[in-house]
Amino acid sequence: MIEVIIAGFIDALHPLNLLFVLVGVIAGVIAGAIPGINGPMAIALCIPLSYYMSPVAAIGFLVGLNKGAFFGGSISGVLLNTPGTPESAATTWDGYPLAVQGKGEKALRMALYASVTGDAFSTVVLILVAAPLAAVALYMGPPEIFALICLSMTIIAGLGTQSILRGLIAAAFGVLVGTVGMEPVSALPRLTFGLYQLERGISLVPIGIGMLAFSELIIQLERHIGNGGDACTMTFSAKPEDRFISWAEYRGLIKTLLRASVAGTVVGALPGLGAPVASFFAYDQEKKRSKTPEAFGTGKLEGIAASESANSAVVGGSLIPLFTLGIPGNVAAALLIGAFVIHGMIPGPLMFEQNARLIYAVYGSLIVANIFLLGVGLVGLKSFCKVVQIPAAILYPVIIFTCIMGAYLAEYAVFDVALMLFFAFVAYFMRKFDFNHICFIIGFILAPIWETALQQVIISSENSPFMFFTRPVAIILMGITIYVVIKSIRGSFRKTLTV
Amino acid sequence: MTIRQRDNLIYGGIALGSVVFLWWIIPAYTPPYPGYGVSAALLPNVTVGIILALSALALVRNALSHVLAKSKRTDESRSGDMREADRVHLWHLARFMIPCVLLMPAMKWMGFIPAGLVFMLLIQYLCGQRKPVTGVLVAVGIVGALYAAMRYGLGVPMP
Repeated sequence: MIEVIIAGFIDALHPLNLLFVLVGVIAGVIAGAIPGINGPMAIALCIPLSYYMSPVAAIGFLVGLNKGAFFGGSISGVLLNTPGTPESAATTWDGYPLAVQGKGEKALRMALYASVTGDAFSTVVLILVAAPLAAVALYMGPPEIFALICLSMTIIAGLGTQSILRGLIAAAFGVLVGTVGMEPVSALPRLTFGLYQLERGISLVPIGIGMLAFSELIIQLERHIGNGGDACTMTFSAKPEDRFISWAEYRGLIKTLLRASVAGTVVGALPGLGAPVASFFAYDQEKKRSKTPEAFGTGKLEGIAASESANSAVVGGSLIPLFTLGIPGNVAAALLIGAFVIHGMIPGPLMFEQNARLIYAVYGSLIVANIFLLGVGLVGLKSFCKVVQIPAAILYPVIIFTCIMGAYLAEYAVFDVALMLFFAFVAYFMRKFDFNHICFIIGFILAPIWETALQQVIISSENSPFMFFTRPVAIILMGITIYVVIKSIRGSFRKTLTV
Repeated sequence: MTIRQRDNLIYGGIALGSVVFLWWIIPAYTPPYPGYGVSAALLPNVTVGIILALSALALVRNALSHVLAKSKRTDESRSGDMREADRVHLWHLARFMIPCVLLMPAMKWMGFIPAGLVFMLLIQYLCGQRKPVTGVLVAVGIVGALYAAMRYGLGVPMP
C-alpha cells in the first residue's frame, strides 16, 4: 500500500503534471477575477483540453483551475465591489471597504492566505476521511446506490433552488437527456430521433459549455451592452502595514480560519449546498461571535478570512462524496465526474481498489495546487488585478469564440457545436424561468449510474418490487427522500396558499 | 404578463410536452423489450412521468392560489409583473445565436481564418465594440492564436 501511495505522489510531482497544475491555477485565478466567469464555467471550457493530457495531469489541471477560480473571485469583489463568483460576495462586504481605504492589496493578501488555509484544511480532511468512508461504502449494493442518488438529487433540487418542483423537473429533464444514446442492456439506440451522431450519447462537453458558459454570457450581455462596464480606479497605499499581513495578524485569525474551514468542509461534503452557503454561513457565525459585530462590513479582516477560508474549503469537501460514493457535492465536482469518465474511470468507492495510485496522485496534485496558488497569488497579485479592467466588448467575444471552438475540440465534431448551441438555448430559458440548470447537469451526469443501479436491482430481484424492503439502508434513504419531497411540496403549497 | 400567467404557460407547456413524449416519442424512438433485463423505455418513462406529475402539481397549486387570491384579494406577489431580469429578450438571443449557428457552415465555405475573423468582428460589434483598430487586433489575435494552437499545437483537423 505504501508503495502505491509513494508512486501516486511521485506521479503528482512529474514535471508535466506540475506544469499543468500551475497553468490550471493561473487560468483559474484569471477566470475567477473576471466578473461573471466562475470555476465551473472555466472547468466546462477546459474539459476538451484535458483530452490531450494524462489522467493525473487532466484532473490536476481541472482541480487547479477550480482552486484558482475560488481565490480569483475575490479580486473583482475587493477591487470593484462586484464579486467575480457568487461565493465571493461575502468577501466583498469587508474587502471593498478596505480597498477604498487604499488597503486593497492587504485585503487580497488576506483573501489569498485564507483561501490557502481553508483549502489545505479540507485537503487534509479529504485524505484522512475518504479511504475509510470508501471502505464502508463498498458494502453498499445497487439498491443503496439507487436510493442514495434519489436522495442526492432531491437534496440538490431542494436546496439549490427556490422551488423544489422546478429543481426536480430540471433534474428529471437532465436524466431524460442522459438516456439518449445506446441503451446499456440491449445496446440498441434509444431516443436518437434517427440521428446517428446521437447513438454514442450526448457528451458532457457541449452540455457543460452550452449551459454553464455560453448561456451565462448571453444573459450577462443583456446587462453589459450599452454600459461600459465597471472601471477599476482603486489606488494602493505604499505603506507596508497597508499592503502586507503580518505574522501576528495571521496568528490572531487562526481560530476564525479554522472554524470557517470546518464549516466549508462540512458544507462541501453535503450535496447541493455549495460554496456560497459556506461563505455566508461562516461570515455570519464569525460576526455573531465577534465582540465588535458592528465593525463587520467596514473592512474587518475577520470577515474576509471567514468567507474565503470557508468557500475554499468547499473544494476538498466536495470531493469526499465524489471519491467515496461517486456522488458530486457541487457542480464543479459533477464536472470532475465527467472528466474522470472521459479518462476511463468511474468515481466511487471502487476507485480506491482499481485506481488507488491515481487517487494518491490526485491528492498530490491537490497539495501541489494549493502551494502553487500561494506562490502565484503572491507573485502575480497586481497583474491579476489588471484582468478586471478588460472591457466586456473584448472579453465576451473572445469567450464566445472559445466556447464554440471548445465544443468542436472535444470530438472534432460540428454536431457537438450544434448541441452546445442547443443546450445554451435551453439553459437561457431555464435560467429565465428559474429552472436550475445545475440540477439538470447533475441529473444528466448521474443518469447512467442511476439507470445501471436500477437495472441491477430489477434484474437481481427478478422484477420483484419488494427488493428494497430487504435492504434497511435503502429503505432509510428512500424514506428520507420521500419525506424531503413531501415536506418541501407541502411547504411550497402552504406558502402559496397563505400569501 | 404576470408571474402566475407565465408560470401557468410554462407548466402547461411542460405537461403537454411530457404527454407527447409518453404517447409518441418514447414508444417511437426506444427499442422494443429484448426479452431479458429491463425495457429500454423504463427510465425515460419514469423520468417523463415524474416531470408530468410535478408540472401537474404546480398547475394545481397555481390554480388553488388563484382561487384563494380571488376570494381574499390578497395575492399580489404572484400576480405582479415580472422583473426586468426575468424577461426573455428574444431579439438579443437571436442576434448572438444566429452568427454562432452560421459560423461552422461559414468555416466550411470560406475557411477557418476568414470566417473566424468576420465572426469575431461581428460579435465584437454586437457586444458594443466601436473602435475598429481594437476590434481588428482582437479578431486577428484570437483567431490566429486558436488556429495556431489547434492546427500546430494539438494537431486537430480544422472545421
